Amino acid sequence: MSNKLSDSVPTDREVVLGILNNSEDALNKLYIGYFPMILQFIVNNNGDEDDAKDVYQEAIIILYNKIKSGDFELSSKLKTYIYSVCRRIWLKKLAQQSKKTNNVSDFEDIVSVEVDVEYHEEKDLQFEKMGSALQNLGEPCKTIIQDFYINNLSMQDICEKFGYTNTDNAKTQKYKCLQRLKKLFFQS
Amino acid sequence: MRNDIELDAIIEDYLQGKLTPAEAEAFDKLRANDPVIDHKVVAHKVFMDAIKQYGKVLSLKEQMDKAHAGIDVASLSEKLSPHPSFIINMWRKNKSAMAIAASFILLTIFSIYSIQHNTLQNGTYEVMRREITNIKNSQNKLVRTINSSSKNEKGHVRAAQFGGTGFALTANGYLCTNYHVVRDADSVYVQNNKGDSFKVKVVYRDPQYDIAILKITDDSFTPLSSIPYKLKKNSIGMGENVYTLGYPKDDAVLGEGYISSKTGHVGDTTQYQVSIPINPGNSGGPLLDNYGNIIGVITAKENQVDGATFAIKSKYILEALNAIPQDSLGKKVVFAKKNPLQGLNRTKQIDKIENYVYMIKVYN
Repeated sequence: MSNKLSDSVPTDREVVLGILNNSEDALNKLYIGYFPMILQFIVNNNGDEDDAKDVYQEAIIILYNKIKSGDFELSSKLKTYIYSVCRRIWLKKLAQQSKKTNNVSDFEDIVSVEVDVEYHEEKDLQFEKMGSALQNLGEPCKTIIQDFYINNLSMQDICEKFGYTNTDNAKTQKYKCLQRLKKLFFQS
Repeated sequence: MRNDIELDAIIEDYLQGKLTPAEAEAFDKLRANDPVIDHKVVAHKVFMDAIKQYGKVLSLKEQMDKAHAGIDVASLSEKLSPHPSFIINMWRKNKSAMAIAASFILLTIFSIYSIQHNTLQNGTYEVMRREITNIKNSQNKLVRTINSSSKNEKGHVRAAQFGGTGFALTANGYLCTNYHVVRDADSVYVQNNKGDSFKVKVVYRDPQYDIAILKITDDSFTPLSSIPYKLKKNSIGMGENVYTLGYPKDDAVLGEGYISSKTGHVGDTTQYQVSIPINPGNSGGPLLDNYGNIIGVITAKENQVDGATFAIKSKYILEALNAIPQDSLGKKVVFAKKNPLQGLNRTKQIDKIENYVYMIKVYN
């Protein structure tokens, strides 16, 4: 059978516990384990490898956020969940490209995931907005903000990294950057 | 400007829970009183959440890209993408439908197979009248000439073509045989065990039950003494020992067996199935039980099953007899109340019966 998955697929429980404990290994295993299934689905339904990668990563993010948010219940197998999410996302994409979406070749069972996918779409919109806002912010603001808010560097570290004479200067700089970024983010 | 920076720092600390309880309380009050500050807090919270989420997703993507790099996508997609061949593609896409179709076909084949191989008897029904060959016939004629040279017999120039067996129902010359024996007869003669031939007339035909009643019309016929056996009106049980007397050759032959089924060919309730050896010429012969009651008329056998002979139940002989107008029967047909054969051994019974069993010769 061509759609046989590799042997390294972790159990659902392993994956959920691993993600809750920020285990990189669990995520890697999960990613590698189910990718062929999605690749098969996409390439058999008017897509290519890059489409498969995008759709699959989105699905993993959805799953990841769902597990992290704590309200995740295993009502189906992870495999089914991932497949359903990918299917939903891909069908939407096909519809947007106005390709025909009838005659979908299915390879797995599916469960209803509309709510999760729509919730994710909102989040994704925010992600895009933040991405473009940061892009428009320009250097060095972008790096300062990223270092402070994402990489959790202290003001002291930032001060040294960018060669500010004191932390107050750095704080002022960060404040200005933040104001601009907020403006970009909320206005876009 | 300075104140704004301070305020921003406080909001940040407030949202991260870094303020002391007293400070937090004071700030809560400030928030409640000043909508501008409250708005700033909410906006900052939204923004903080968004940027945290952004950071998380970014790192997650990075991690997944790393994992993705470890997958040999090219070879995988080659394996999984639609096969260029239409047939293989078709097979992959419609596996389940094809499986259903295949199992349906299998089921159909099995059903047809089982219908064809059911438990019903399906051999052909072979009636047991005898086609008399020319050789046998010439012998027959030879014997008859010797035997009957002294008698005033008309003499049959032509050979009899079919033969069967019949038995007397009344002393005045009514006989019973199978309808198929005399079916397309031009003329019918009977011959008793002494070799005397008499001309008979077919007075009743019943193709449904395969019964015919004959009447001896020959002048040379002298009425018989009273019939030694009686007709059994009710049916008989399985396993009952029975015997028959018939003319598969030119002399009477005894066949012995038992009732093996209460129904005949493919469940025909007008017949018994009897396990008894019979041959062409036995048709129309009487089937008797141990007490000398006539329980049936031998009529046919199953040619694909060993020892499956069929005999019409005696009840239908009575029905046939009753169908003949009483006045043409002359005297009312009455069988002895007490069976004179009862208690006699087989040899004695046959001794008495054989005078009443005739060979039927059919010319056409």
